[in-house]
Amino acid sequence: MEAITLIDQSVCPGDVVLDVSTIANHTIKLGGGLRQDGDVISVTKSGTLRFSNPNKYWVQISQKRYVPQQKDSVLGIVVDSRSDNFLVDIKGPALAFLPVLAFEGGTRRNIPKFEIGTLLYVRVVKANPGMNPELSCTDASGKAAEFGALKDGYMFECTTGLSRMLLSSPTCPVLDALGKKLSFEIAVGLNGRVWVNAASPHTTIIVANAVMNSETLSGAQQRIMVEKLLQKIQ
Amino acid sequence: MEFVSPEGLRLDGRRPMEMRQIRAEIGAVSKADGSAIFEMGNTKVIAAVYGPREVQNRSQQISSHALVRCEYSMANFSTGDRMRKPKGDRRSTEISLVIRQTMEACILTHLLPRSQIDIYVQVLQADGGTRSACINAATLALADAGIPMRDFVTSCSAGYLNSTPLLDLNYVEDSAGGPDVTLGILPKLDKVTLFQMDSKLPIDILENVMQLAIEGCKAIASYIREILLENTNQLEYRRGV
Repeated sequence: MEAITLIDQSVCPGDVVLDVSTIANHTIKLGGGLRQDGDVISVTKSGTLRFSNPNKYWVQISQKRYVPQQKDSVLGIVVDSRSDNFLVDIKGPALAFLPVLAFEGGTRRNIPKFEIGTLLYVRVVKANPGMNPELSCTDASGKAAEFGALKDGYMFECTTGLSRMLLSSPTCPVLDALGKKLSFEIAVGLNGRVWVNAASPHTTIIVANAVMNSETLSGAQQRIMVEKLLQKIQ
Repeated sequence: MEFVSPEGLRLDGRRPMEMRQIRAEIGAVSKADGSAIFEMGNTKVIAAVYGPREVQNRSQQISSHALVRCEYSMANFSTGDRMRKPKGDRRSTEISLVIRQTMEACILTHLLPRSQIDIYVQVLQADGGTRSACINAATLALADAGIPMRDFVTSCSAGYLNSTPLLDLNYVEDSAGGPDVTLGILPKLDKVTLFQMDSKLPIDILENVMQLAIEGCKAIASYIREILLENTNQLEYRRGV
């Protein structure tokens, strides 16, 4: 099977990953970046092919724009407000809708007033192709849980790959190293946006720069980079 | 005028079946969602892709597909004499349309309904084959932006001068007035998405010239693949995977 040779390898659009006719009676689950073309599974986006037992294939992609997925936590920017929805930009193919009532204890009488340009930490509730994604400022059980407007702080953009790395467990090395020496709060959106807030602008800048630098470094290199950065200013 | 010497060398010292040196770079425009520079000999082209994003002009929104827009322009300084009107002339409009249709054939537009993908291609230095270089650059830029595609589109030109099929014409050979075939193919799927020709050619010779262009396209495809894989590997390495 060609699939075995391409797993964990970089693939390009057009590459054939699997020939379905050679497998007997199997259900295969295809994730992002793959599509079925007759008998053949081919790649549509460049990235690294991944496989997880027993039958899931997907391409791990890192790009600047975001593909909305249900249950993702993202950072959105309010672009407009309507009577029943806020229009929020989440770096996807379409603007997302945030219902005015999608807040903890939200009723028609206490609709929040978000100005255009407000940064929000939200959860994607619905993301169907061709429809505008729907967001919510509550978790699945209806509690506020840190969702909502982010005040102060500094927001910067990055690739979706870096966002996923920052949110990986165990804790990503750069955040771990920074957390040991500095005190700050950070919100990472899976859509390639990161927000940092700290008591002084000085700390905010260090954290932001460290995170932006870490995109191009391995775990050990990240720790060394953070150490050097902190040494310079202390 | 002699375009192929009796020894079989062209004006720039190439053999008839030899392509110019190609070079590509991904990610040149940091603000764009995807970008690439593509050079074929002295022809240098830069492509930037924005999207998929919300359609700017509501009236143009397509409910079942993504809207693909393409703009081709030549920099003032790209040709020998400084150009006065680089955009909006007939040739630019035609080439914009050609590139758009070629790329639309390979982008999986039905996966991104109601959205817009913008492709901007600019020629920085023109020495023949700008159309092909633009398509190759656009392919790389689209792959860099993570837009789902069936396959790459690669393009190459071929001509027929002094009774010899020639691959990858430069400006002098192009302006000789002989036939100029531009071909765009999906290499893995082996399908033709662009086939344009200037001037006239007998049909039996057309087959040879087309075959030559297809081989040129396949060679470009393997180079583009290498560049893209190298870029992907770099990103993976940097993230420590």
